[in-house]
Amino acid sequence: MTGLKTPNLFKTMWIVAAFLTAIPAGAGTAVADPAKVICRIEAEREAYSAGDPQNTVLKITLDAPSAPAHVSRPPVNVSLVLDRSGSMNGTKLEQAKAAAIEALSRLGKNDVFSLVVYDDNAHTIIPAQHPEDVNHIAGIIRQIRTGGSTALFNGVSLGAAEIRKNIEKDFVHRILLLSDGIANVGPSQPEDLGRLGAALLKEKISVSTMGVGMDYNEDLMTRLSQKSDGNTYFVESGNDLPRIFASELGDVLNVVARQVRLHITLQGDVEPVTIIGREGRINGRKIELSMNQLYGAQQKYALVEVKLPKSLPGSKMKIAEAEVHYENPFNKTREIAQGISYASFTSDKALVEKSANLGVVREYELNLKALAQEKAIRLSDEGKPLEAAQELKESAVKLEALGNKYQDKDLLKEAEETAKQAEQMEEKGMTTKDRKVLRTQSFQMKNQQKSE
Amino acid sequence: MTNKRSIILFWALFLVPTLIMAGAAAKLLFHEQERINRSALTALTQRAESIAESIHLTVETVKDNLIRSLEGIRPEKPDQILPDWAENNPLVRNVFIFKDNLVYPVQGPASTTEERRFITRYDALFSGRVPFKAILEEKGTGLKQADLHPASEYETRNISRKQLLTLSRSAPEVRAPAESKSEALMPDQQFGPESGWLPWFFENQLHILIWVKASSSGPVYGLELELMTLMSRLVAGFPAMTDNNASLVLMDGSSQHFHRFGTMNLPGKAKPAAQIAVSPLLPHWQMAAFMDPKGMGPGNGFLILSLILVGIFIVAIFSGGLLLTRMTLRNIRDAEQKTSFVSSVSHELKTPLTSIRMYAELLLSGRIRDGAKKETYLSVIMTESERLTRLINNVLDFGRLEQGKKTYRITGFDLDTVLYQIIDAHKIRIKEKGLDIIITGIREGGCRIHSDRDALEQVILNLMDNVLKYADKGRFIKFILGKEPDGTFLFKICDDGPGIPESHKEMIFEKFYRIDNSLTAARPGSGLGLSIARKIMRDLKGDLYYEPMENTGACFTARIKDHETR
Repeated sequence: MTGLKTPNLFKTMWIVAAFLTAIPAGAGTAVADPAKVICRIEAEREAYSAGDPQNTVLKITLDAPSAPAHVSRPPVNVSLVLDRSGSMNGTKLEQAKAAAIEALSRLGKNDVFSLVVYDDNAHTIIPAQHPEDVNHIAGIIRQIRTGGSTALFNGVSLGAAEIRKNIEKDFVHRILLLSDGIANVGPSQPEDLGRLGAALLKEKISVSTMGVGMDYNEDLMTRLSQKSDGNTYFVESGNDLPRIFASELGDVLNVVARQVRLHITLQGDVEPVTIIGREGRINGRKIELSMNQLYGAQQKYALVEVKLPKSLPGSKMKIAEAEVHYENPFNKTREIAQGISYASFTSDKALVEKSANLGVVREYELNLKALAQEKAIRLSDEGKPLEAAQELKESAVKLEALGNKYQDKDLLKEAEETAKQAEQMEEKGMTTKDRKVLRTQSFQMKNQQKSE
Repeated sequence: MTNKRSIILFWALFLVPTLIMAGAAAKLLFHEQERINRSALTALTQRAESIAESIHLTVETVKDNLIRSLEGIRPEKPDQILPDWAENNPLVRNVFIFKDNLVYPVQGPASTTEERRFITRYDALFSGRVPFKAILEEKGTGLKQADLHPASEYETRNISRKQLLTLSRSAPEVRAPAESKSEALMPDQQFGPESGWLPWFFENQLHILIWVKASSSGPVYGLELELMTLMSRLVAGFPAMTDNNASLVLMDGSSQHFHRFGTMNLPGKAKPAAQIAVSPLLPHWQMAAFMDPKGMGPGNGFLILSLILVGIFIVAIFSGGLLLTRMTLRNIRDAEQKTSFVSSVSHELKTPLTSIRMYAELLLSGRIRDGAKKETYLSVIMTESERLTRLINNVLDFGRLEQGKKTYRITGFDLDTVLYQIIDAHKIRIKEKGLDIIITGIREGGCRIHSDRDALEQVILNLMDNVLKYADKGRFIKFILGKEPDGTFLFKICDDGPGIPESHKEMIFEKFYRIDNSLTAARPGSGLGLSIARKIMRDLKGDLYYEPMENTGACFTARIKDHETR
């Protein structure tokens, strides 16, 4: 038995020690080899009231290690796909160019860089190449001028073609898509671009999207990122672009695990109910999820709702085992980390109350909020702004109640922000900016994208 | 008048062929432009056809390869290979195994959202309402052809397409290296494997299902093609088109633009000039060719440029014609004026000469004894010879002025003195005509001026002659002398004669010009006096102009510049 749990739990540790039977198996290996991913399963609480079957939430956390300092990082294969439609004219394009040049300077000699611009058509301005003559490439970037409309599909396709030139090699493949407008040439349905994203992911190409200003299609951009396991950003002003580029490149240059597959096996009579916020398969008692890649020192998690069987007081049981398979990009070996979760059952209500795992409860609630945000968007799209506001309001109330109960500042802050969003929406309806903020926040929450 | 008629004839001869030529040129040009447009459209259509063909070939090859790959899967093992394939091959959107019922994917939480949607999409098929129908003729013919000539020109050029074909070809072998081909092609002998390419429209979108039935008792299995991957790869390999007055558009079944070639700006309601079906494998997909109806591109630039050139040509011809006509008219007028000048001068010269000769003969004959008579005759001879001298002086001056050889001698003198002298000298002539002499505005001693005295005398004399010649029916001749603040003198000679018609106001100062130019004009004259007077005044930095009097009569004003004022 060990006390190595999340920090939130240290306070209550001694009380629940008797019931605490969770052994994070991954943690043991992690101590031996700090460069490995740690896999932990935590349940909503350690102790449950015995009796009838009940639902609970499991949080399977993957703690990515920091990138080792002495090993050279895996090279990256980046294709920047830049919108140069007429609306990009001015600060947006200038900042995008500056950010691209800045990003370029951070790449190493082994990395590969390519640049595609699109307006009515897409053109490969810089074919895939090692950034050896940075000044020459920067010169080409500076010459980019604005053009006509927005052939986004074509742009991404050309970017992918550039990436594919080095697809066989051991790169971290990434397309950075920047757009400020609605795709008006080629496929423009979020669904279609999502399919493209999913297909690209099969080739291990991720697309990170940056929507600039108020006119881009956030549904399309988030869908493309989500399906290809990239990041998504809402860039309100062109001036934020360099910061966002730096953040995104930070992620790309910091991949510590690839092709991450998470298998959760429920034990005994525990039954799966649903996966929250992520795509996955539930096959009998087996739950399968994939996450593609983890960035250095990043924490990603999956939330799964399960149904615990009938129980007797004083009994305890193994709820689930998790196994994460991934590729270590530094030594190119496939590695495995494991985690196990236990639950005990008691008739002591106070104990049950006290054994709650705030880390799980909070993330669960925040994910529910993300889902509520999506529902609010849907409602607002259907012309029901009041219902949309109501949805957010309810979410805020829940967050606040939970925040008060556990005296958690983060939750209270979220509650306050959500309440404010709801209030504004009630007054003015959902503005384009609101919609973009909600869509992006919800995506970033569900995907645990590191904040910008 | 013959002149007018000949000019009209000239213009007719000149204008009609020019216009005919211009019309013919324009017509030819329009015709040529139309031809260029037509051939541009043909070229564009051919381009569309070649792109459509290459798309068709690619899709067909993808189809054949996928079907062959599917057939290569051992009939009892599709459930082990297919899911793996779906997960790793971007061309595969979904896979399925169907035997009476759908075996894979399973409805419920074990499938992903995408798979659940797939099941809904093909519900009619999986519930048995629509049968899997083999398209037999597609096998055999199309099947091998595309792969037999893999190194077609297009393919070698197009890496993207090659990769695509590799993707469609290699997948199951890579995923299942253990499968041996001989085993795979073992299905029962009576049953040739059936397969099909099933275009499926759901929610107004095209989806493609490829299926295989390897044995009569075995399952139907297959995959849903990811059209986005297919199109994305094709799009990346499409040739670039730089035209900005024409555009090719790949349109899907619902006429949404899938890909646009060329940079022409297409408004929402633009109508394609031609449409070509892309491939029977992608029903309702079309290549549409658009051409700029306004035609501001290089194609129509030809017409515009040519029309401008023709326009310049015609304008040049017209200007030439106009210039010629003008010069001709001027020459005719000059010739007429010169003839008339010579006649009038001869006439003018002859009149005094006749008088002089007649009186001289009379005196010479000695028949005239009366001293008073003799004196009268001699004075007539004097007057007439003076007239002759003036006339000759004018002609000589005219010549000098015309050649710019006249020199001026500036001296100081009193203008009023000169005027009084002239009036005194010609008093008799004026009185003879019955005119009163009125002199105004002359101040004693205030008329000192520096100028050419002889030239000014000539001007005054010419002006006075003019009055005596044309205004002899009037009552007075008025001399007005004034001075402007800047020291310029204004000298006016006015009369109450018939005056000068408004339309002739400026022309009277032209050389040889006479209001009545006929030889039989009532008044003799050379048409030189006023022309010379104005020329002299202008040479002396002054001016001479005509103003009508209030009721009737003419008034000539000479501005005389004092050359010592500075």
